[in-house]
Amino acid sequence: MCLGVPMRVVERDGFNARCEVNGIERTVSLFLLQHEDVAPGDHVMVHVGYAIQKMSEAQAKATWDLLGEAFAAEPDA
Amino acid sequence: MLEAAKETLARIRALPLTGRVRIMNVCGGHERTISMAGLRAALPENVELIAGPGCPVCVCPEEDVHDAIALSRLANVTLVAFGDMLRVPANVPKAEPRSLEAAKAAGADVRPIASPREAAAIARASPAREVVFFAAGFETTTAPVAAMIAEGVPSNLSVLLSGRKTWPAVAMLLDSEQPGFDALVAPGHVSAIMGPEEWRFVPERHGLPAAVAGFEADSLLEAFHSVLRQHLEHRAILDNCYTAVAKPGGNPTARRLIADVLDVVDANWRGIGVIAGSGFALKPELERLDARRRFALDPAAGRKRVGQMPPGCDCARVVLGKIKPNECALYGKACTPRNPVGPCMVSDEGACRIRWAAGLRDGAAAKS
Repeated sequence: MCLGVPMRVVERDGFNARCEVNGIERTVSLFLLQHEDVAPGDHVMVHVGYAIQKMSEAQAKATWDLLGEAFAAEPDA
Repeated sequence: MLEAAKETLARIRALPLTGRVRIMNVCGGHERTISMAGLRAALPENVELIAGPGCPVCVCPEEDVHDAIALSRLANVTLVAFGDMLRVPANVPKAEPRSLEAAKAAGADVRPIASPREAAAIARASPAREVVFFAAGFETTTAPVAAMIAEGVPSNLSVLLSGRKTWPAVAMLLDSEQPGFDALVAPGHVSAIMGPEEWRFVPERHGLPAAVAGFEADSLLEAFHSVLRQHLEHRAILDNCYTAVAKPGGNPTARRLIADVLDVVDANWRGIGVIAGSGFALKPELERLDARRRFALDPAAGRKRVGQMPPGCDCARVVLGKIKPNECALYGKACTPRNPVGPCMVSDEGACRIRWAAGLRDGAAAKS
């Protein structure tokens, strides 16, 4: 339940962001990142539909590589 | 295994370890990586990795599961919960459904969700029904639940909250006579929300090495290396091997929202008992959202059930890291993922389920 998946922000509308990982898109809430500037192209760690931290692209990519295809294919996990 | 992980593993193997060192993790995600990547077999013989209290589904009290099943059977109620909760068994008379899944099979409107957002969306889409969100989880899940509440929920949504804080269970173990571990790997995403500082008490009050870890094998190996080196040098600190996400102070918005809508209360852990300051409850001014009040659930009926695990089930000792999954008499015999007896075999974060999925079949076949 505490597993998160890094995703890339594609588009932002208020606290809702369209995010993408591995070709899969999800609507993610940015409500928990009110203290951060989040813009398209940014990377966020997503947990149960909410972005919980901003992270760098390099960090997101490293996590994708390490989590592997199985995790990347299941952004809801 | 990647180059970075191999290199860290080589550094661990080069450490001049003599005695046994027991490293506890308190996160189902950590345990899954450890089991699936085969880290137990890769580490030196005298390093023992123990799965501690890291499964919120496993410690969700029986009375809460029972209340959720009872609510789901009301004609006007739709009950939503994270998928893992649906199969958690309660002790009930034979004629009654023993899990939310069984209640669903008997006609109840029970729906698995993957996000608190779905709970609010389902409530908005069915205004004529009462939607109850059975929300069990640690801080990482409680923060999104707090966000959902703070953002505003439809009047037909209520919450059966079973949120737990992670560190008080570790503090309880460390305050006991036999904690059963020598070092701690602290949970990465709980720390991302609450701040790594929450775990300082482990080195500062108890003199045990601690390191925050992420969920990939190389971050976990870095944390193992850190605590083993601290152990050797008799120098206990809180290290952070997940700085990318577990930032100092955690997530300030999440912490503010949790503090805005929830109080910290004493809470029951299934099979373990009440741990002081280890649970979350809705603030009194939000009691209209509390499913227990909206449906006038009888707290006395719940108290009678406190602490019960299914008969013969040793989940409580598995959760506390006192025994390994395959040391439970039911493991792999009466209790398998297909027919789970206890919550540790139900949840994707339960130590029994994870070890079974990783191929642990019996004591003889397993390297602890």
